Amino acid sequence: MDLNFSPGDLAFRAETRRWLEANVPRGDLETLEERRAWHRKLYDAGYLGMGWPREYGGQGASPMRQAIVADELARVNAPPPINGLGISIVGPTIIVHGTEAQKRRYLRSILTADELWCQLYSEPNAGSDLASLGTRAEDRGDHFVVNGQKIWTSGGVIADWGLLLARTDPAAPKHKGISCFLLSMRQPGVEARPLRQITGSSHFSEVFMTDARAQKSDLVGRLSQGWEIAQTTLSYERGGNSLARVTRYAAAFGQLVEAAKLLTRGGRPLLDDPLVRARIGRVYAELEVQRYAALRVLSALEQGESPGAASSITKLSYSEFEKRYHELAQEILGPWGQLTADVPHQALAIPTSSGEPGTWAHAFLWSRAGTIYAGSSEIQKNIIGERVLGLPKEPRADRARR
Amino acid sequence: MDFAFDADQQLLQSAARGFLDERCPPAVVRALMDDARGESEALWKEMARLGWLGLALPEPEGGSGLGMVETAILLEEMGRAACPGPYLPTVLAGMALAQTGTPAQRSRWLPAIATGDARATVALLDAHLDWRPEAVETRAAPIRDGFALSGVKEFVPWGHVADFVLVPARGPDGLSVFLVEPSSPGLAITPRLGMDPGTRWARIRLAETRVPADAVLGTPGGAGDLLADLMRRGAVGAAAEMLGAARRCLDMSVEYAKIREQFGQPIGAFQAVRHKCAEMLLEVENSHAATYYAAWALDARADDQEVAASVAKAYVGDAARKVCGEAIQVHGGIGFTWEYDLHLYMKRAKALEVMYGDADYHRELIVRRVAG
Repeated sequence: MDLNFSPGDLAFRAETRRWLEANVPRGDLETLEERRAWHRKLYDAGYLGMGWPREYGGQGASPMRQAIVADELARVNAPPPINGLGISIVGPTIIVHGTEAQKRRYLRSILTADELWCQLYSEPNAGSDLASLGTRAEDRGDHFVVNGQKIWTSGGVIADWGLLLARTDPAAPKHKGISCFLLSMRQPGVEARPLRQITGSSHFSEVFMTDARAQKSDLVGRLSQGWEIAQTTLSYERGGNSLARVTRYAAAFGQLVEAAKLLTRGGRPLLDDPLVRARIGRVYAELEVQRYAALRVLSALEQGESPGAASSITKLSYSEFEKRYHELAQEILGPWGQLTADVPHQALAIPTSSGEPGTWAHAFLWSRAGTIYAGSSEIQKNIIGERVLGLPKEPRADRARR
Repeated sequence: MDFAFDADQQLLQSAARGFLDERCPPAVVRALMDDARGESEALWKEMARLGWLGLALPEPEGGSGLGMVETAILLEEMGRAACPGPYLPTVLAGMALAQTGTPAQRSRWLPAIATGDARATVALLDAHLDWRPEAVETRAAPIRDGFALSGVKEFVPWGHVADFVLVPARGPDGLSVFLVEPSSPGLAITPRLGMDPGTRWARIRLAETRVPADAVLGTPGGAGDLLADLMRRGAVGAAAEMLGAARRCLDMSVEYAKIREQFGQPIGAFQAVRHKCAEMLLEVENSHAATYYAAWALDARADDQEVAASVAKAYVGDAARKVCGEAIQVHGGIGFTWEYDLHLYMKRAKALEVMYGDADYHRELIVRRVAG
């Protein structure tokens, strides 16, 4: 057991920090072009797609180096790369399952953000039960015709391309009849509409596909291999950025302490209230445990272990923590925590990862998303129960039917 | 960076598990419940022979010179076995002597601890039940050739079997720690029985108990740092033992949920039970991270060692309570019986929850350090 960072990694962190101090955008990025330019700058400096193999434009960098960059980006609250989904999910999927032609056609422009990507998975009637998705892709000789609706599509409105799951064999059992495609979002049959969330902003969209075309050459993997491919994609989504996430929590914690010193109730600072102190202590203890657990995951990745189903523990842990964190923060701050604009103290304006103006109210509302997206807490607990603890599967109505 | 145990640490863990499974099964734990001392001389001597008692003591004094991580590995296994005995308090007293003892104190006691010939404990808590070292009220009045100690120490772990007790007391120089043998005049030990029969506490009353001048550990009046360090080590050691108890409860629950059938299927197939088990695993894995991070931080003298020790004690105490409690719920009625072993581990975790500062105490320490 040795939790020290190696001298090489420490030097790399220092160098990354210096680069960011000189290059991180000072103000908010307003336009799409500004956001593309920032993405491009990060890529040119070697800070994006680092884990991709060299032959596809990456560096084959270690999980530790990738985590250090993510962590340093979080530390300065840098705007996220606009094509993050392309880098973290679509690119790796094409690298593992795609044809040589697909790799040549798509990978470079993902890295440079010349083409932006979204993920077309969830549907109104296929959420946790993703495999029951109803979007159809029909073989018409040289292409497929796609009809259906997707939902919760991050960045759908700005995306040029989507990684699509669609049913190609309605007669097959539900997990066996799904295929994976690369679908152009820039065609008449595809319409993306922003979806307003409880935060008031529109991070997601709904995507309607009406006789949209997917080229034969844009099928990923084999026909009917879509579910298997989606499993690898979903596992990219779980795990990963945990150290950077903790750094964001820690930055907000600093603001919370500041606020508890500045704000008063009944004539004394909140921080002098023993109940407030107990809550702050609880938040910090849990936050630190998240950090230790993140280091443990990172160290396992660094030793070449693949977390597999255990990454569900990480996802369950951080998303449930984030909800408790913001519930406790709201209890501490009282009505100040509910302000959505014109906050009277800088300590009430917290950094957010989405680049939106941050308030505790916004972060509290946003914390409800984490236990739903990328496999809800209930799904994670099923995975942990079945695949980590080896508990028996439950009988399911749809297994009996097919 | 490597969070995993190295080869030697893995070996230590598997050897400890093998030994305790064989020599300290539930039948032995139960047999010791009715024993007046509550612990086994034979087991203690075997643990000494395995090198466990000298594990963290310096090599010249019969120890192995290992650290808090290795100590935590053993304590986790002891918690997993609900092994009764004064291991943690003896280790703490040994560490205190190794850090600040005079050559005479060290040569008198450290080899005896390593060979299993001496047991020891640390009386960190006064009758007012405030764990803060600065709150010690026990007095040390200078007399000819030494000191007279007066005060009441409460919930002293295994005080009734200790060959010496480390007693913090306040004298003209400030706070000092005194090495006191139980045969000293004016010292009275009253056992206190808690809900865990495998944990024994004692009330120690000192009525002008005379100790020689050379009974002081380290610099007279300078014991604040030593006591803070012992509290941290006690907290991390207790976290490790609670972690072991919690993991045992989780393992038993998962095994039971696979075989116990109701409504025509194993209960583990019901989400209500499976999700509970998943939540228990999450708490156990986070507790592992918290315990061993803190143990490593103490060994490495990391900048955040104080906070890490408090985080471990606060988090693991809460987590173990939840996991052990839910284990009883998963088992249903059988888990509520005396015959079934689950309560052995649940009670061990419960006893340690209140020792070396409870979760509230450590959260307040954390807030003082990070928020002021």
